[in-house]
Amino acid sequence: MDYLLHILILVGLYGILAVSLNLIAGYTGLLSVAHAAFYGVGAYVTALMALHWHTPFLLNVVAGMVVAGVVGVLVAAPSLRVHDDYFVLTTFAFQVIAFSILNNWVDFTGGPMGLPGIPQPALFGLAISSHWGFLLLASAFLTAAFWVSHRLAESPYGRVLKAIREDEVFARSLGKDVTRYKVEVFVLGAMLAATAGSLYAAYITFIDPTSFTVPESIFILAIVIVGGAGNLWGSLVGAALLVTLPEALRFLGMPSAVAANMRQILYGALLVLFMLFRPQGIVAERVGLREPRRARRPRRETRSAGN
Amino acid sequence: MLAISGLAKSFDGVRAVDGFSVQVKAGTIVGLIGPNGAGKTTAFHLITGFLEPDAGEVQFEGRVLKGLAPHRISRLGVARTFQNLRLISRLTVLDNLLLAFPGQAGEGVGGALLARRFRRQETRNHESASALLESVGIADKAAELAGEVSYGQQKLLSLTCCLATGARLLLLDEPVAGVAPQLVEQIVGMLLRLRGEGKTIVVIEHNLRAIAALCDNVVVMDEGRKIAEGAPQTVLADERVAEAYLR
Repeated sequence: MDYLLHILILVGLYGILAVSLNLIAGYTGLLSVAHAAFYGVGAYVTALMALHWHTPFLLNVVAGMVVAGVVGVLVAAPSLRVHDDYFVLTTFAFQVIAFSILNNWVDFTGGPMGLPGIPQPALFGLAISSHWGFLLLASAFLTAAFWVSHRLAESPYGRVLKAIREDEVFARSLGKDVTRYKVEVFVLGAMLAATAGSLYAAYITFIDPTSFTVPESIFILAIVIVGGAGNLWGSLVGAALLVTLPEALRFLGMPSAVAANMRQILYGALLVLFMLFRPQGIVAERVGLREPRRARRPRRETRSAGN
Repeated sequence: MLAISGLAKSFDGVRAVDGFSVQVKAGTIVGLIGPNGAGKTTAFHLITGFLEPDAGEVQFEGRVLKGLAPHRISRLGVARTFQNLRLISRLTVLDNLLLAFPGQAGEGVGGALLARRFRRQETRNHESASALLESVGIADKAAELAGEVSYGQQKLLSLTCCLATGARLLLLDEPVAGVAPQLVEQIVGMLLRLRGEGKTIVVIEHNLRAIAALCDNVVVMDEGRKIAEGAPQTVLADERVAEAYLR
């Protein structure tokens, strides 16, 4: 039972990560491979504060968000001066730097040994230590992250994000401050990713740099793409699928050494297959904004065969 | 309304715009004509902030536009269309138009999260947008993707987007190029009506019949410079103009 709950908690965590990255990559078209770094920022800030200062969990979460937000601005400002492919490279560079710092600043982060013995959280005097407790906490965090993301995505704000993704020049010509939107959405996404990190640290009670690597960032991006870029529900479906799929391998009786490698191969193959046959992902982006208080006309099938 | 003086821009030593000056009076339609490569579109980019001039100055309603980003210039009341149409082809016709309305509360993070604030405004913009689409005769296309309606309808839509921004100055880059003759007439009629409503319009256009029907004043550009200016009949009869086109 605990095993099942553990999987569900992970789905919740990756749901938060994917939904927040979807705002950045799916809606705005900024392919960031630094999301795991912000996930790490949240985890480390929470862990360090809890270990050294014994501050309450929710305060640590907020602190993680603030630090991730500040780092987000620092990363976004130079990265967004360059375009498309170069943006991927600058976020990649940042991700590598972040890992190096976590891995080498031994006095502060524990280096490769990580930070053990992170205290489990207590909310309103109630200690959370059971799997059920963490599942509830993860669900609450996911709900909040999804609500915020969904509100932004399905409002005029989301319309501007999509416009920037499709044609920046057009958006500028209509008076939209494109740079502000890009920085804003990148920072917001980073802050939401940090909350997942805080949860992770408090749940596992041990963190080390290997959880916040380049492959981890690519894994989150894979969830977004397979689930459906530009559709937040897709990110939930994607998280559920990509987290549980490799677990299924265990039950096929595969030796664990093989299973670990199989997992990487599986993700790679899945990504390639989706790019080839269903680039819009499992849950495709919905076209058009919900019309306020008006019956919607039946929409035409909008995807052309070559899409 | 719009005063341009000594505007210059070079690309790798080629002078695209080379000391271009012109005055546009409020409530008039000015035609900007000239052979391909004369620097007309570059002039538009310089006015709207998409390019930074090497020299010269643009004043809009007495305000110097130097160094302002495109979105700021747009918010001051200068709207433009693009020669190769720019629309969001994966958004509906209606959403493209809704994007154009200025000062939307729901376009900020706070406004978007507190839905109550923007819903009423969105509904109002929705009504204005529907009315605009109705007025140009593409209301029935509102729910279709902008990339899937005809070229002429896309041209109408990009023009309508300019109007939705509430701009007082419209810079239109070839608004009737490549559209069917009856649509040319519709667009010409629409622009004349807009002038009647007090809009100021600068049009780049190769269709000289449309230019003659529209313009109060025609400016001819060649090699980045103004070579002639005046009423359409006189300018279009000018030898230097014919020569510039034939060369």
